[in-house]
Amino acid sequence: MAEQLLSGLKVVECGNMVSAAYAGKLLADFGADVVKVEEPGGDTARGRGPFPGDTPHAERSGLFLYLNTNKRGTTLNLKEAKGRGVLHGLCAGADILVHNYAPGESGPLGLDHATLRAVNPGLIVTSISYFGHDGPHSGYRAYDLTASNAGGWASISPGASDYPDFPPLKPFGHQADFQAGVHAGVATLGAYYHKCLTGEGQHVVVSAQECIAAILEMNFMHYTYGGMETSRLGRRSIYPWCMLDCKDGKLFVICVEEDQWKRFVELMGNPEWASLEIFEDRVVRGQNYDALVPFLQEFAAEWTVADLYKAGQERRICMAPVNTMADLLASAHLKAREFFVEIGHQVAGALRYPGAPFKVADVGYAIRRPAPRLGEHNAEVYTELGVSETEQAALQQAGVI
Amino acid sequence: MARRPLEGIRVTDFTWAWAGPYCTLQMAHMGAEVIRIESAKRPCVTRMIPPFADNEPSPNRAGYFNQYSQGKKSLQLDLAKPEASEIVKQLIAKSDIVVQNFSTGAIDRMGFGYETLKQLKADIIMISICGYGQTGPERNYMGYGPASVPLAGISSLTGYPGVGPAEVGISYGDPNAGIFGAYAALAALAYRQRTGKGTHVDVALWEALLALMPEGIMDYTMNGTQPERAGNRDRWMAPHGTFKCQGDAEKWVTIVCGTDAEWRALCGAMGRPELADDARFADATARKTNEDELEAAVTAWTSERDRWEVTETLQKAGVAAYPSMSNKDLATSPHLEARGYLVQKEHPEFGKRIHAGIPWQMSGSPCEVQAAAPQRGQHTEYVLRDILGYSADDVEKLRGAEVLT
Repeated sequence: MAEQLLSGLKVVECGNMVSAAYAGKLLADFGADVVKVEEPGGDTARGRGPFPGDTPHAERSGLFLYLNTNKRGTTLNLKEAKGRGVLHGLCAGADILVHNYAPGESGPLGLDHATLRAVNPGLIVTSISYFGHDGPHSGYRAYDLTASNAGGWASISPGASDYPDFPPLKPFGHQADFQAGVHAGVATLGAYYHKCLTGEGQHVVVSAQECIAAILEMNFMHYTYGGMETSRLGRRSIYPWCMLDCKDGKLFVICVEEDQWKRFVELMGNPEWASLEIFEDRVVRGQNYDALVPFLQEFAAEWTVADLYKAGQERRICMAPVNTMADLLASAHLKAREFFVEIGHQVAGALRYPGAPFKVADVGYAIRRPAPRLGEHNAEVYTELGVSETEQAALQQAGVI
Repeated sequence: MARRPLEGIRVTDFTWAWAGPYCTLQMAHMGAEVIRIESAKRPCVTRMIPPFADNEPSPNRAGYFNQYSQGKKSLQLDLAKPEASEIVKQLIAKSDIVVQNFSTGAIDRMGFGYETLKQLKADIIMISICGYGQTGPERNYMGYGPASVPLAGISSLTGYPGVGPAEVGISYGDPNAGIFGAYAALAALAYRQRTGKGTHVDVALWEALLALMPEGIMDYTMNGTQPERAGNRDRWMAPHGTFKCQGDAEKWVTIVCGTDAEWRALCGAMGRPELADDARFADATARKTNEDELEAAVTAWTSERDRWEVTETLQKAGVAAYPSMSNKDLATSPHLEARGYLVQKEHPEFGKRIHAGIPWQMSGSPCEVQAAAPQRGQHTEYVLRDILGYSADDVEKLRGAEVLT
């Protein structure tokens, strides 16, 4: 098998939905051997779409298929002592265990660090939760939406909103869960470097709320430096920073530096209005944006998105099409970079998936296998572990596997 | 004292704005020595924009910079001077990782492209971050963080129904590319540990965001369609929303029921047990069908209550609920305080301010913010003398020749 950045790492992953699975996927896509341990009924992500024809099917969830590439899949009932015994067998030979069971749930499932350290002192146990393992809210229940609010993101989203009656807005998808997953990946690999030098494992605890609170741009400091509470309402402090309607769709434009605005004015043919005092710098333009937008809009309406995007970017004005999924799949740039990958799957068939989050020559992202079907690698993994066929049959009988 | 995970790792940090600094912040959090190359002529944009400590504009008092450079060091150089270039080369020769997020090609023109770096340090790990990536027909396009959100299709999927595509309130492409850059650097470190080889990593803001959009992209590749913008609603769960509470326009609580049991618990906690037996809300499918009525019933209860009262009542009943937190709520949160997340290190010019800290804890190699963000050029002398072995005279000569500005 071709060498990759994380070839040779042995990982066990438990839990449901996105955060632990994405941390596991990042390890697996870059070469680690990841064994995914699902509850006998399967990861709840198998019940979340998208599905072909919007019809739920445990082996056809787009979310599950994406999150679990390159992993081997097993099922194990951790509520049974024998199930925990098998899990501890897997952990004995692993470098990393990553899971996203809540603090109160993980102990009874045999996933607490004290127990696992006794099994394998070199094991890194990464526990992803919404509020961490201590503090007054550590026992609180949450979902992705909860975390995007608890971390302070939604309160400032969408930003510059004209709709005070509309609630703080979550970004599409499972962004808080994904951020917890990537941050957990960073911390886990930091702990792995420590292990390379010392042989020691340890417990890594990641809080999704804190991951989100860490990415609020300057908003956090608007309060702690400036005493100002920020909001999803209000206005942009600089302008232009908006979406414009072109003939065939929307185009986003932002001018941060004054020279960018000058080049935009040039592109618009140096209209007379642009020299008005009320538009003289980015802050004043922000204050007078009501007057500015109609001029910009009138200009943009004459263009197609693709033409204005190209014309703007060629003059080093930061513009971007407001892309749909269809636009993305058709992008010549993403095609040239081979971003989307086609992956076959025994039940779901061949589909295009988002590919590498970053590129590394020769030893980077690679697809070696699709997401596992439920329990697909039970026999393979448990046999490797030294569980005999007879024992496996007994465990299956007992509802453990 | 316990070893920190990246103790002994040195990072030459060419980054500016947000994506690159967020990448190297993770390394500083884990104990790496991160040295930002700064210049007086072209200060980082985050040193120049509000908020400023005590509302006094100054490069060392900017909250944005100080948040994302906690625990780093600052080396001030005028890179137009050949001596400065030489100093950077010597520093790279003693570094493990180099991170940069200039526009494509700029780092090569500065004379620090990957091929040059490899000659300075054979096993160097280089992380390059930019909007569109180092290759492809649009590689030279400008890709600021706010623009990456509509570019990656997030805007076309995010927003209130009937209102059009939305932004997400932050320059999301930036920290996301930064965190992936940090992940790549650490994976490359594992690879170097095993093989002795270095690596060059190409992170594009655009692609790093697309990696977090499978629900949108795979709906298209499966069905040729994309989901409608649905505000805070979810395709499968209901209630799944953020509801008005007592107080001003900023007081909201988010409530999610992922199972029928949670829904029954919510009904009980609201004092509306009859709703649990109401056929309109009997299961997730029914609740999705009648979501407007469902949300109206929840709002009727929340709107007359304080958001923390709602949160505590519902959490006691086992229902996921939490206020929509503002920046002030976070900075004054007893929970975050108890967890040690809120960091205040003494800054020589203005004392202490609260910053967002490290979102993970490690039991065996504890991570802690080491110091406040550096004043510009604060560590120039340290780098030259302690790392590179320059004498006091050498430093004075460089200062005289205006290399250290």
